[in-house]
Amino acid sequence: MIIELREFTRVEGNGKAEIVIEDGEVKDVRLKIIEGPRFFELLTLGRHYYDVPDLEARICAICYLSHSVASVLGIERALGVEVPEEIALIRELGLIGELLESHSLHLYLLVAPDVFGYPDAIRMATKHGELVKEGLALKAFGNRIRVMVGGREIHGINVKPGGFGRYPTVEELERVEKESEALLRLARRAVRLFAQLDPYGAQAKHFVATDGYLWGEKLISDEEGAFHYTERIEERSLVYSFAKQSHYKGEAFFVGALPRLLLKSNMLTPGAKRLFEEHREKLETGYVSYNNLAQAIELVYSLERANEIAKTLLDRGIEGENVPVEPREGEGIGYVEAPRGVLIHHYRIDASGKISYSNIITPTALNHAMMEASLLEEARNLYGKADESAMIGRLEETVRAFDPCISCSVHIVRL
Amino acid sequence: MMDKLKLGVFELTDCGGCALNILFLYEKLFDLLEFYEITEFHMATSLSEENHYDVALVTGTVSTQRDLNLLKEARNHSDYLIALGTCATHGSVQGSVELPIREKLKAVYGDDGNPMRALDSKPVVEYVAVDFALPGCPYDKNEVYQVLMDIAKGIEPVRKDYPVCVECKLNEYECVLVKKGLPCLGPITYGGCNAACIWSGLGCIGCRGPLPGEVNPASEYEILKDLGYDDEYIIRKFKTFARWEP
Repeated sequence: MIIELREFTRVEGNGKAEIVIEDGEVKDVRLKIIEGPRFFELLTLGRHYYDVPDLEARICAICYLSHSVASVLGIERALGVEVPEEIALIRELGLIGELLESHSLHLYLLVAPDVFGYPDAIRMATKHGELVKEGLALKAFGNRIRVMVGGREIHGINVKPGGFGRYPTVEELERVEKESEALLRLARRAVRLFAQLDPYGAQAKHFVATDGYLWGEKLISDEEGAFHYTERIEERSLVYSFAKQSHYKGEAFFVGALPRLLLKSNMLTPGAKRLFEEHREKLETGYVSYNNLAQAIELVYSLERANEIAKTLLDRGIEGENVPVEPREGEGIGYVEAPRGVLIHHYRIDASGKISYSNIITPTALNHAMMEASLLEEARNLYGKADESAMIGRLEETVRAFDPCISCSVHIVRL
Repeated sequence: MMDKLKLGVFELTDCGGCALNILFLYEKLFDLLEFYEITEFHMATSLSEENHYDVALVTGTVSTQRDLNLLKEARNHSDYLIALGTCATHGSVQGSVELPIREKLKAVYGDDGNPMRALDSKPVVEYVAVDFALPGCPYDKNEVYQVLMDIAKGIEPVRKDYPVCVECKLNEYECVLVKKGLPCLGPITYGGCNAACIWSGLGCIGCRGPLPGEVNPASEYEILKDLGYDDEYIIRKFKTFARWEP
């Protein structure tokens, strides 16, 4: 017997799952990505590097800046370009804006209705209007940063190899400094709220993240130092899904907010670090549902870090000088922490500056095996004990905890 | 109180941005909800009970059999259907890869191909008649607000008929094509974005698709040639968002 879950709702993109029952027992779970393939690696092949980040941004609206920054980092590494601290800080600020925008969408509009038992945030707003407004305030702040650094709320093209089209102004940075402080109170409240969620899903055994907090030169895991994805992560196609599946040393692993906190708590800002310590015991159990709590703690981190960066940039003043970029033959990998986990853009560029190879691996593809493992565990716990609709509801919540971005996951390619 | 109009949002294959952009209306979304009841919104709600829509917004390209079925359902159950965003109106980026679907699948998923029913990505307008087409990758969120408000008031929404350059001039931005020699498709691209990318000091990449009528793509081509861009670069740039024209 196969129980088919309807299409997931309150996740980004189109996906569903099947639970295979044999002899009264849950045998298998298949997570199907039914969003159509989009062939981004074919789209950029043969194109001049200058145009590529703008196209890659279109992979995902929720994390377009993560894609354009990962793309720019991959291209710059291939072309041997190094940027000064000013450019790095502004990019980091952009990624922080994206984290705020994405986490607040996920927590307040997609997860909170589960906490309070509503089908959606609009209906939840009648009783918990304040909370929805707080979420929207954080989200709007994140989006203002995305406009400032990325050029638009969605799919701006301001992040380019070597720098930016336009640099933030003093007034904009002053506003970031003030608002990030004012919003901290809301983020702390979110931590208290999402700390109440029960553990569910599987306990992750392996965690993977980039070696810096929001991007890196390489990847790190719970058991070893820095490595390139090509050394440890294997991808394979599935017959039932448009997304590929990845394994770390043959096993499922987890990327996202929880792995970031567990692997990189030493890089947190003071307030976020305190909250992490307070909830450390819970988080270290590795239950994927605690990814929600981890995201709430990252809201605090993002606001504190945005404040630090704005202060630093205001103190030193903005020079606004791009680094010259010359085409040459090369290969480079960009690693970024998108809000929902590690994102990889890998390119080879030919002597004329055209892309000759591209491989993109998104967090949702990296988490695919872990999502299946979690669904399997949860289905085994509930099958025969809870009625079917309660089980399906809980399975949906389990998928939602990963904050999957399904649009992102459908062009995971090796050419 | 008058009955609210029933609004459905249907997402086919895309980046999610055109649906997300509606949520980005923030308090204006609550203004819209004075006139509309959202009865289908895949990304935001778990309810799915209605089968008639006064207005259907469809985003994305038709890239799978599922997309096609959903599109037909949206068309058959709605009075007024809006193709929302460049994927739905022109095919956008995923529509621009000009290989047969079999070869694309093979390149991505290997020799086994992928037995799921993928179709060659095409815009919504290739399959069904639409009542209104609003391009943009993404469209400007205030545009969809205006269109929905017009419909609620019984006014036929107006389609923009000027290039990006008009809004660029109104903002008094420096012309990046002439002054900086950057490739800018502003002169031949549908306006309505308030020249967002020229605000960034960069050239328009044509994400709203080509403006039909009295524009002059041949002259744009000559200008880019004179700036030193080769044929292949220019052609790919022109076709990035709009291999399919409505």
